[in-house]
Amino acid sequence: MAAFSFLFAYLLSFVFEGQVLYSTIDAFGARSNTYILAAIVAHFAGLFSCGLFIKTPSRAKSAMIVGMAICLIATAPFLFAPSALWFVGLVAAGYAGGCAVAAWGFFLKRFTPKDERIKSCADVLILSNIVMIAINVIAINLSHIIGLLLSMLCLILGGALTAMLPAGTNAETTTATTPETERKSPSDIKKPMLVLFLFVAVITITSGLMYQVINPAFEHLTGFVSWYWAVPYIIALAFMRNLSPKNRVQRSLFLYIGMGMIIAAFIAFMLLGRGAVDYLVIDTLMLGACGIFDLFWWSIIGETLDYSQNPAKMFGIGLSANVLGVLCGDVLGVVITSIQLPGAELAVIALTVVCVTLVMLPPLNHQLVLLLKSHAYLAAYDNMSQSQQTDIVRQVKTLDPLTVREQEVLQLILSGKSNREIAGALFISENTVKTHARSIFSKYDVSSRAELISTLLKNQTVG
Amino acid sequence: MLFETSFPKMNTGGGLVQMKSIRKRRNGYALLFAASICLAVWLGATFMLEAVFALGAISLISLVLLVRQSRLLYDATLIWDNRILAVPSALISTEGSLRQADTEETVISTFGMLIGSEIYRWGLDGVHGVRLSAVQIDKERMCLTFGDAAQTMRVDLLHGMTQKQAVLDAAQKLWHETGVTADITGW
Repeated sequence: MAAFSFLFAYLLSFVFEGQVLYSTIDAFGARSNTYILAAIVAHFAGLFSCGLFIKTPSRAKSAMIVGMAICLIATAPFLFAPSALWFVGLVAAGYAGGCAVAAWGFFLKRFTPKDERIKSCADVLILSNIVMIAINVIAINLSHIIGLLLSMLCLILGGALTAMLPAGTNAETTTATTPETERKSPSDIKKPMLVLFLFVAVITITSGLMYQVINPAFEHLTGFVSWYWAVPYIIALAFMRNLSPKNRVQRSLFLYIGMGMIIAAFIAFMLLGRGAVDYLVIDTLMLGACGIFDLFWWSIIGETLDYSQNPAKMFGIGLSANVLGVLCGDVLGVVITSIQLPGAELAVIALTVVCVTLVMLPPLNHQLVLLLKSHAYLAAYDNMSQSQQTDIVRQVKTLDPLTVREQEVLQLILSGKSNREIAGALFISENTVKTHARSIFSKYDVSSRAELISTLLKNQTVG
Repeated sequence: MLFETSFPKMNTGGGLVQMKSIRKRRNGYALLFAASICLAVWLGATFMLEAVFALGAISLISLVLLVRQSRLLYDATLIWDNRILAVPSALISTEGSLRQADTEETVISTFGMLIGSEIYRWGLDGVHGVRLSAVQIDKERMCLTFGDAAQTMRVDLLHGMTQKQAVLDAAQKLWHETGVTADITGW
């Protein structure tokens, strides 16, 4: 966790819209938008694509060490005056940093039990944010060079700690990717991944918007902002981390609380002034909500690691959605602010965007919860005997008896097969499978496959 | 009570030939839709608003027809893909009278029937939609009853089967696919 926290602290303080990057750019009087956007796009690409070539724990370890080394080299040009190396360095650091972060998915999956991942995620976020605050304060109040050197020190510490991680053997992973194991796992992870991607992207658009709309309004409070900015975020993380497992089940409730806080933050931004107390209120609401949201989706990504043979891919794609969301928010923010509207109108537009994105969250969350439940249920169903499987289907009453063909389709649905696989197994067309599936949904009075699986298997022992 | 008019039957054109005909019509509407949209945009650029309005209406109508034909083709393909048996002709019941359908072949499937120029659908809209409710087979005829909570309809077919085993096989397949047990009499 310490290895990852130092890497993440470097990214937060420098590559990913970090204060060290901003103060370095400001110190040399360069234009920041190009650098910032290039770094975010490269970071997104690194997170999204690393799953293609990082497939074993030993490769993950190498990717983390090499990634941090590249980041270190790529940061060095920022100690000197602006040149083309700045742009190249930021792109390289963004991409390599993304790969290194995603590779950590292997270690999160392996060393943390599923129920404890929310705590591990909270710990790394808290630790990395505390380190980031320390670096920010030094970079803003003392010297950007010292901030830059401290960011680089984070990389060295992270790299040294990563080298101490046990990589395990490739054989371990090779076994995990045999066709037999893949066949046993509830297949078709694409849909949950897509919903997760959308969910995370939508939830983090507000963060990007905040960077462009709210933060510039308080630029004059440099000293206060440098240390207070992430404090509510850390407090929210600590609060969520220490919730009892029972309360964690009610996490949807916290989603709504977070939504309320974000809206309240933007309304407060419209109504309040631009003083220190106003910043205290707005930042507390905004970053508190970000803390809730971040741990919310980090914990979901942590859960989904078990459904994938390649945790780096799952983790990377999940986090890349976050980066995409921030990027979209940034672009929206840049567009909104470039219109040169009065502050109040700007805030109204930002609030409208926030409300639109927040409206999309509850249905996405509902769909995601259903899909994750389905995967858990299907894994349990897969381990049952034939007679237990038959009993489960018989226990739930239907509006009308299933035909023999529908029973065949249902059995294959509960084995986690996709429509295409069912069509292949029964020698019928995919459209025929879809029609039978619709008929089955109608007879069980449900509206989707995930709901059907949930209805049939929710009373069974999972795990 | 037996009804005919409000059931999901539509003029098509006969088995595979029927489907070709529906596909042709669908492609025609697609072409009309694309052409009218392009023309509307072009005329819109030259500010001929009356023509744009007329072409807009044509686009809308052709879009509706396109959607309808696409849906029809989807259903016909589904019926054809899941055919259970094909018989030479059909007699369709109306209230108090029978009429012979103008057809070369009638296809009976899990999801409906293709009779000459008409499509009858069942089992496509879940428990509350039109469903096959009974099948009776005697020496000459096969009688299929289908409908929803409000209406039912009956279709008599001259099945042309002479072997009892063939009748039993057809009944078995019907039961497997639709859950309806055929009432076999006279064999």
